[in-house]
Amino acid sequence: MIAAVVTLVLGSAAVAQDAPTLRVGMSGGYFPFTFVRQGVLQGFEVDVMNAVGERAGLGIEFATMSFSGLIGALESGRIDTIANQITITPEREARFAFTQPYVYDGAQVVVREGNAGIGGVEDLRGRTVAVNLGSNFEELLRELPYADEIDIRTYESNIAQDTALGRVDAFVMDRVSSAQLIQESPLPLALAGAPFSEIRNALPFRSDKRGMALRDEVDAALTALREDGTLAEISQKWFGTDITSPD
Amino acid sequence: MRGLDLDYMLGLVPVILGYVPLTLAMAGAGMVLALLLASLLAVERVFPLRWLDWLVVLFISFFRGTPLLVQLFLFYYGLPQVVSVLTNIDGVTAAIMGLTLHFAAYMAETIRAAILGVDRSQWEAARSIGMTQWQMMRRIILPQAARVAAPTLVNYFIDMIKGTSLAFTLGVTEMMGAAQKEAAGSFLYFEAFLVVAIIYWGMVELLNQGQKRLETYLNRAYAR
Repeated sequence: MIAAVVTLVLGSAAVAQDAPTLRVGMSGGYFPFTFVRQGVLQGFEVDVMNAVGERAGLGIEFATMSFSGLIGALESGRIDTIANQITITPEREARFAFTQPYVYDGAQVVVREGNAGIGGVEDLRGRTVAVNLGSNFEELLRELPYADEIDIRTYESNIAQDTALGRVDAFVMDRVSSAQLIQESPLPLALAGAPFSEIRNALPFRSDKRGMALRDEVDAALTALREDGTLAEISQKWFGTDITSPD
Repeated sequence: MRGLDLDYMLGLVPVILGYVPLTLAMAGAGMVLALLLASLLAVERVFPLRWLDWLVVLFISFFRGTPLLVQLFLFYYGLPQVVSVLTNIDGVTAAIMGLTLHFAAYMAETIRAAILGVDRSQWEAARSIGMTQWQMMRRIILPQAARVAAPTLVNYFIDMIKGTSLAFTLGVTEMMGAAQKEAAGSFLYFEAFLVVAIIYWGMVELLNQGQKRLETYLNRAYAR
């Protein structure tokens, strides 16, 4: 429609590919899993999906959009899967067909450096806590027995920045990228306590016929990448440790 | 206080500039469509058609009376739940649609006021020499109305260019969305958003120069 005209005006017509294409959705704003530097989309997820595409003989086409819009885009068929550390939950398993987990991680509380008042998830009573809208961490917080005593603030992005600025007391994200964030970013942040919940992340597909077929192809590729050490290699590159297999 | 990372900002400029064509394409498409729609609405308001008039009044009232962001969310996230065909509309299309409808409502009022602002003697003079309604509008009224409406319409175009930045809330990676993603990887929020602000500012300043030229051109008959 209009967008097609705009695309033509911009002269950025998609390159025709012989291989069938897998349209992969991601936020592009979740360091170091998916982020942008100098206009180049990169990160752990990008490397994994490119390796999967190579192994399965699929062309990979990335689409970035707001995190909270990803599930809707998958359901409506705008994309085929989401590579954005999607945690397997019973609710999501009822709606989508997941591959095997390719990241084993934990939920982590992160505070501003020097905030000794919060030593873990049990200290979040009466505090304001930032989480990404629609994320599994939002669910985890709401499931706590004292959830009604926590002021949960949902964000599309920039939870780390708002914690560093002192606008919220803490944020909750996965342990792996929290540790990476503290190490690589200039923001004054610190981990508070141990991870409080084990999470397994995988690639969701629509549970229709085509989605299931794609899921099986991608799952087989993940198995092969796990066996030949490619997954561990990509993990070492981004995290200095292997997060792709259970401890 | 920390110093600005100027090297980072300079490196970011070409990246964000790469999204200027998309911004201009969205605003350009929106402007053309909004002008067409606004002209139709304005003409209807000047020569009312009884059964259509209340609908036009309602349209203008709604799109002037609700925030652009709310309208964009209604189109992109809301309507597809009710009308499933609209699921196929992508963010860019939804943004253009939203900008078109929103600004058409404003422009319609501007154009209507400009038409009605042309002195009665001009209408009478045109009729007295036997011009048809269409001839009168095309040759006497609209050229004079255009001169009055042009500065305001250019201002709306500038507003529209800035309005395209809201498209990032629909998941479109335009200038603002690109800066947001760059900041997510570098954590240099101030620098990233400052670059975007400066580039918008530069674009609008260039347009202001164009506006001055346009006004001179439209006023050429009145130059002393």
